[in-house]
Amino acid sequence: MNGAPMTQGSQPPLPAGDEDLGHWVSNEPFDATYQPALSPAQQRYYSAPQWKLIWWKFRRHRLAVVSAGLLAVLYFIVIFAEMLAPYAPDSRNSQYIYAPPQRIHLFHEGEFLGPFVYGDHRKLDMEVLRRIYTENTAKPHPVRFFCQGDKYRFWGMVEARFHVICPAKDGVFYPLGTDRLGRDQLSRILYGARVSLTVGLVGIVLSMTLGILIGGAAGYYGGWADLITQRIIELLRSFPELPLWMALSAALPATWSPVTTFFGITIIFALLDWTGLARAVRSKLLSLREEDFAMAASLMGGRPHRIIYRHLVPNFMSHLIASATLSIPSMILGETALSFLGLGLRPPAVSWGVLLVEAQNLNVVALYPWLMLPVVPVVLAVLAFNFLGDGLRDAADPYH
Amino acid sequence: MMLFRLPMISGALRALSAGALLLCVALPAAAGEMQETPSLALEVTAGKLPPVAERIPGDPLITDVDALKGRHTGKPGGTLRMLMARSRDTRQMNVYGYARLVGYDEHLNLVPDILKSVDVDGERVFTLHLRAGHRWSDGAPFTAEDFRWYWEDYVGNKDLSPYGPPRDLMVDGEGPTFEVLDDLTVRYSWKKPNPFFLPALAGPAPLYIYQPAHYLRHFHAAYTDPSQLAAMASAAGKRNWAQLYNSIDKAEYQDNPDLPTLQPWILRTRGTSDRFLFTRNPYFHRIDTAGHQLPYIDKVVFTVSGPSLIAARTATGEADLQGRYLSFGDYTFLKQKEKSSGYDVRLWRDGRSAELALLPNLNTAYPEWEELFRDVRFRRALSMGIDREEINQVIYFGLGIPSADAVLPESPLFDEKDQQAWTQFDPDAANALLDEMGLTKRDGDGIRLLSTGEPMQIVVDTAGEAQDQTDALELIAHDWLQLGIKLFIKPSQREIFNGRIESGEAIMSIWSGHENGVPSVGNPPWEFAPTTADQYQWPQWGQYFATRGVAGFPPDLPEAQKLLDLYQQWIGTADHDQRRQLWSQMISLYTDQVFTIGLISGAPQPIVVSRKLRNVPEEALWNWDPGAHFGIHRLDLVWFAQ
Repeated sequence: MNGAPMTQGSQPPLPAGDEDLGHWVSNEPFDATYQPALSPAQQRYYSAPQWKLIWWKFRRHRLAVVSAGLLAVLYFIVIFAEMLAPYAPDSRNSQYIYAPPQRIHLFHEGEFLGPFVYGDHRKLDMEVLRRIYTENTAKPHPVRFFCQGDKYRFWGMVEARFHVICPAKDGVFYPLGTDRLGRDQLSRILYGARVSLTVGLVGIVLSMTLGILIGGAAGYYGGWADLITQRIIELLRSFPELPLWMALSAALPATWSPVTTFFGITIIFALLDWTGLARAVRSKLLSLREEDFAMAASLMGGRPHRIIYRHLVPNFMSHLIASATLSIPSMILGETALSFLGLGLRPPAVSWGVLLVEAQNLNVVALYPWLMLPVVPVVLAVLAFNFLGDGLRDAADPYH
Repeated sequence: MMLFRLPMISGALRALSAGALLLCVALPAAAGEMQETPSLALEVTAGKLPPVAERIPGDPLITDVDALKGRHTGKPGGTLRMLMARSRDTRQMNVYGYARLVGYDEHLNLVPDILKSVDVDGERVFTLHLRAGHRWSDGAPFTAEDFRWYWEDYVGNKDLSPYGPPRDLMVDGEGPTFEVLDDLTVRYSWKKPNPFFLPALAGPAPLYIYQPAHYLRHFHAAYTDPSQLAAMASAAGKRNWAQLYNSIDKAEYQDNPDLPTLQPWILRTRGTSDRFLFTRNPYFHRIDTAGHQLPYIDKVVFTVSGPSLIAARTATGEADLQGRYLSFGDYTFLKQKEKSSGYDVRLWRDGRSAELALLPNLNTAYPEWEELFRDVRFRRALSMGIDREEINQVIYFGLGIPSADAVLPESPLFDEKDQQAWTQFDPDAANALLDEMGLTKRDGDGIRLLSTGEPMQIVVDTAGEAQDQTDALELIAHDWLQLGIKLFIKPSQREIFNGRIESGEAIMSIWSGHENGVPSVGNPPWEFAPTTADQYQWPQWGQYFATRGVAGFPPDLPEAQKLLDLYQQWIGTADHDQRRQLWSQMISLYTDQVFTIGLISGAPQPIVVSRKLRNVPEEALWNWDPGAHFGIHRLDLVWFAQ
């Protein structure tokens, strides 16, 4: 794969124009060592290491680059959710139940104030039993930056109050509205990203590992090892998924903290999800192990472990990358679906799926549409992962 | 106005006459004054149906509609549309129709309905008087024979009733003596008082002690050729004749269009369907003072739809009257569409003692929790640690009543002291109680430690059906943190939920309070004592009582035993004043002991009523038993203005 490509011998110019060629033989001697001169750019290209080639190719896939950027932002949020969210995810304000998103203003009476929101006139409409919020434009509440707000434990360890953005001292800041208990929707979406986006990653790492190990062993050794893993895979695949998930989630103790529950769910996902990948790895290996280079490596005394992971796996890396990035979104959707069905995460844990459970009913669609906003990050994350996978797959085969 | 409360009657024989219902009414309308129902007129002139005067009993139940509060004499006709969630919901027609031997009126007095009168002697001997000339919906006479049939050919038949008479007919394991006095009079007598008998007849899913003998004899082995029956049974896919009989005779389900009935509307749709049609019973026994036979409405249509779609379909005006499957959370949405869809949304009051209640499982399988829950200080502390007013504001717009699991103000047994027992939000007092119990050790997060050294984490089981429950629990979780107690929610399905409680696996559950939140002195106070296994606060004690010691354990908490003693004293006496006193004693003891932690009572239930519909009360009680939901509010008096 590396080094200069093979070339034909040097050729004299062909007879020009409309002249009849007839039977023509060059009488120059054949030079088997001829190499055309490479331009520096060509040289750079042909001698570049693979990762560089992949990067060059990937860079040209615009959508994939944008998606990668978006995912970087999302994972930045995952890491710093506590600081980025203006409120703690369970901080309630019973004065602001079902408050619609507040508009963010910059100018108050013609004067630039920086981002701020107006206070509200709150009214209980006892006729239709609805809370009515109207802007009170008399007094602006400027949003504070790099400030002290709700207490939290950063990553469950360090206690802190620092927030990047906070409501004004005597005001509130609900740019995406609040839910039925008066909790800030924005903060909950930010915290929800943590669970929803990492379930996918941790799960994929686990199921990829299992898939490559088990599939690799089955494909390389064949025979009994293959037979047994194939039957196990068939058994696992024949389980109806939903009832299985239900049973497994019911088995998770209720006293587990949300984080542990989420971890349990991730493992459940991974334990069920490796089978498809294992099959793909196995079939690829079955064909690749018959290739000459595999035979050569084996004759040179390479041990199975080295042959598989050094020679065979890199040959279908592009396939692995593609299937990994394409199954992350299905993991995200899976978590969302399970929570939506009430089987996955439970309140007080916050994930996008848990948030969407609240958007399940008719009232939300008709009266409180902002509660459906968690759909937006779900769609964005899933699309981004798909495009990224697309770009990576194209890039992983740089010479195509 | 003479309204009797039936079970008050003590000792002396007193008759309840149908006249008790009538308010300054002239004697039963003579034949000439009756008006033929327009929708039946054609069949009458064709000779297929006798004229109205011959269809109604000689002494019908006459309702002076205008004398009832907010109601007016109506016009016959129209089709009432309702939405249901399952095809089994045809039984709701029997609930809403609410024609009972004796039934509750809207003030929850027990009055004769199908019966002309009942004589009660010491709650032991019940003499039932039928209306002369009363007919089944197929025109056959309804007589004492139908009661005899039930008792001798149904209950007395080992194949049909392998377990003997139903529970409400048994007193200390003994059934009644049944006598037919004449064609229109039957008598049931027990050796000891049976206060359950009449309430069972008046239930939403009542005890049927009569069956249409003339119809069912064609399905009974003693009256019909067994080989013919066997052929019919196998054709219907049933194992034997008894199974066939039981499948066609499900009066409370109202699912067999051929089974004659006494209800106001008769099912016309055969088999399962997503649309069920009911038409008026031409032989119904109630009339109004203007000479109309009731019900006013000709047809009722049930459309079956997914339960989650019912609020949406109601909002588009697809139902003329709807309460079932609507929850308080739907109110705002329904109210918004009020004008465009042409209906009114009314708020009725839920009739249970508490819409939401926490039930600590005194029979839990975990000894450390059992010990805590049995300490009254712990139950009181939990109760005082809840900010009920906040729950009321957040979930019910302040329309409910923060309350213990006592009785509603509508009940004659209401006492404000019981309603407010241990319900004041006072975290300091609650913490003091917990400290006094010696639960002073806490972990790093400030959570108190159990005797086992584990943090105090209460897992509350829910049946996973209502959003209100989860919301309330999230609020309570926040409140209890101030007591150093963590709360977790475990949602599951109804069967698993029941199983976990009975096995003691669940330490606490959230459910509603007592079904009957508006008891009168005559209603047995069984819900306030450990009497049945489906009482989630003490399932084992309840089962012990219900099975007479075969399963479960006897209550070993003196206060629970005391409740049971008081309950048995109540059963043992028929004296009104004594019963009243026993009732009050039980409610006070129960609420003072906080056996269940009531949260909110009297929660509003939205009722959607088409603007064309008349005679539906503005405000009323929405309750299952007693109440039968729409049942006691007389659906037969509802009519369409156009």
